[in-house]
Amino acid sequence: MNFAYLFFLITLTFASPISRQEKSASVPAPNPQAIESGKSNFRVNCSYCHGIDANGGFRAPSLVSGHFSHGDSDDAMLSNILHGIPGTAMPANDIDEPTAREIIAYLRSLQKASQSSAAGNPEAGRKLFFGAAACAQCHMVQGVGGHFGPDLSRVGAMRPREYLVESIREPDAQLSERFVAIDFGTNPPSYELVTITTGQGTLFSGVVLNEDTFSIQFMDDREKIHSWQKSELKSVVHEKRSPMPKYTKQQISDAQLDDLVAFLTSLRGDSK
Amino acid sequence: MIRLRPSSPLLYLLYFLNLLYLATNAIPVSAQVSNDQLLNSSATPSNWLQYSATYDGHRFSSLSQINRDNVSHLAAQWIFQSPVPGFFENSPLVVDGIMYVTAQDNTAFALDARTGRRLWSYKRALPEKIRACCGHTNRGFAILGTRLFLATLDAHVVALDAGSGNVLWDVQAADYAQGYAFTVAPLVVKNKIIVGVSGGEYGIRGFIDAYDPETGKRAWRFHTVPAPGEPGSDSWPDADSAARGGAPAWVTGTYDPQLDLLYWPTGNPSPSDDGSRRKGENLYSNSVVAVHPDTGKLQWYFQFTPFDLHDWDATEVPVLLDAEIEGQPRKLLIQANRNGFFYVLDRTNGKFLFAKPYAAQNWAKAIDSAGKPIVLPNAAPSEEGVRVCPGAAGATNWMSPAYSPQSGLLYVTVREQCDLFYAHPQPFVTGRLYVGSTYMPAAKEKDWAAVRAIDPKNGDVRWEYKEFSAPWGGNLATAGHLVFTGDLDGYLIALDADTGKHLWHMQTGAAIYAAPIAYQLNGKQYIAISAGTTLVAFALPEAPH
Repeated sequence: MNFAYLFFLITLTFASPISRQEKSASVPAPNPQAIESGKSNFRVNCSYCHGIDANGGFRAPSLVSGHFSHGDSDDAMLSNILHGIPGTAMPANDIDEPTAREIIAYLRSLQKASQSSAAGNPEAGRKLFFGAAACAQCHMVQGVGGHFGPDLSRVGAMRPREYLVESIREPDAQLSERFVAIDFGTNPPSYELVTITTGQGTLFSGVVLNEDTFSIQFMDDREKIHSWQKSELKSVVHEKRSPMPKYTKQQISDAQLDDLVAFLTSLRGDSK
Repeated sequence: MIRLRPSSPLLYLLYFLNLLYLATNAIPVSAQVSNDQLLNSSATPSNWLQYSATYDGHRFSSLSQINRDNVSHLAAQWIFQSPVPGFFENSPLVVDGIMYVTAQDNTAFALDARTGRRLWSYKRALPEKIRACCGHTNRGFAILGTRLFLATLDAHVVALDAGSGNVLWDVQAADYAQGYAFTVAPLVVKNKIIVGVSGGEYGIRGFIDAYDPETGKRAWRFHTVPAPGEPGSDSWPDADSAARGGAPAWVTGTYDPQLDLLYWPTGNPSPSDDGSRRKGENLYSNSVVAVHPDTGKLQWYFQFTPFDLHDWDATEVPVLLDAEIEGQPRKLLIQANRNGFFYVLDRTNGKFLFAKPYAAQNWAKAIDSAGKPIVLPNAAPSEEGVRVCPGAAGATNWMSPAYSPQSGLLYVTVREQCDLFYAHPQPFVTGRLYVGSTYMPAAKEKDWAAVRAIDPKNGDVRWEYKEFSAPWGGNLATAGHLVFTGDLDGYLIALDADTGKHLWHMQTGAAIYAAPIAYQLNGKQYIAISAGTTLVAFALPEAPH
């Protein structure tokens, strides 16, 4: 990459918050045909990272909220699609501008469908998160909390509201994959409950940091990291469920859930 | 020429000793490889002269210094690191102590095969927007005389001087901006350089080319999608779809000198996951074509997956061997195909003999007596996604199998993984990604893998060695009763060729996307494997003095 191009990208990135308020003159009025074509191009070019319905994948955020970390305007989205976002996993895409505009039209159509306004008080949710609900025992937010579960500092940008509700009420429904900043070509492990019995018969419950044919690197539920050769172990059982407890209505009321989700959706990686 | 002569008996002795040293230890500035040597590659196992070692695609080394009794002592001898980001997907050549390696972005190196130290390097100036679907990879050189042949990402074929890496000629085969590219290791057959094109994800029209090694002049081109009016064109009822019909040819084929036939595998029709605008069987996609190496004329073809909707390229090395099938001696072509079935054909005429699944599959009831799949309902991609096994990456893929004449078994890297295949027709734009739709790994299903040893006579799996993750590494069989394989988690693994028993492994530090090779130098056998951007050579430790 040459310096002129790099400067161009940096300029675009810094310019994007300003252009948030602008309306692009060249945006076509969304029409069903553009949305359909945008959907097919989204599937081909974007869905592998952002998920088949743009609800977020293991390495890229949900795109259905209409609020993006690197600019909400059509122009910012266009720039991000065509040129990528420096410092993130978002690459430049070899597509033309009309195709990118159609993808934007498709994403805008999803926003309309998912605009269920999040009720709830984020501050009350914060208190629950770090207090009575004990979420911070396992989850970290901006450096405060545990290491056992996924870091949630950007979860508001990464996942839609519906996903967060499901993850709290039914944590086994979808197991999060461990985020990988650098792709080693291997599949990242998920936050799945794994039970290990050592050769001496000691039992451990926890999550896998890495696993292969011969070895396993493991964090137990006290956040202690273990390294074993599999030949040293009696058994490794993947329980096919999350180590996170289900939060039923008895434990968290619907109103409390709204507060908690309001707090989580406010988490977009900005330092406060 | 001035010639210095020794002038005393002592100097005579030193002169003689020096000549003796040069004769035993010095490596020539560049290799000399003749067509005869290529024909008899198995006679010089100290070298690795072509992609699959020999024309029959066996990837078998008759070296046995490293064997199942001592392989547990194998130790790294040297590590070469490519300075170019990405990962090796190559199979190096070794000729008289020099290793020729191609790397990412069409860089290449000549290495001292004893130490891994660089003798020369080459880098191609590539255009900015290369259309290569799956990484800026290259699978290797071919060699003839003192020339190396490289097929490039911007769809050129290049000859390099093996002594210096200097370019001798450079010809354009196709327009890279339209999605044409090369990742293949060329094959030298009868004084011709054979290459097959990549671009099945860009709506190209595939081809196999032959070039003159002296001049770079193209001798012939075989289009893997017939032109309107040609035999096979009726398998594309829509001529427009044929013009961008894909059928690339991106894995090195094999050659039978007695029958004088070149066997080259082909890939998916374009777009790979959407058949709505390319009705028909889409010849010669997902096939093996037998062509005459002098003319490029088609002798026969066999299509494994007609009207493919799951990206199941047949670009797996077609392995040639002779064996008795039901009491009758046969000249066979065998292939463990990406669609999950193991096929046995008569390579004299392409006649289908039998097929048998070697991995989990849920798309075909069976393969009928003519070799055509009986496709089950609900296997076609849909708007909501359909779970199909194997997934788009296939039950195996381009990673090389190995066949051992010693054990009579074919060793195949098998991926056990299913995908959800989605449909949503995509418009065609020249030079842009054109795959039709997409696929995703089926949720909550852990992929896994195995090396499976298949008996070519009946398709039975004689043993399997399970691996944790579905890999991209190929295999090597040796006369030491060994199979070497590389896995996705970075392990080079040695197995007993007869039983599949694990004998040794070593963590190389990165996912392995290559197949091992074997060579010998100064009486010492080496096993070399690429992993990530490194290339590691292993040997047995020398006895302490």
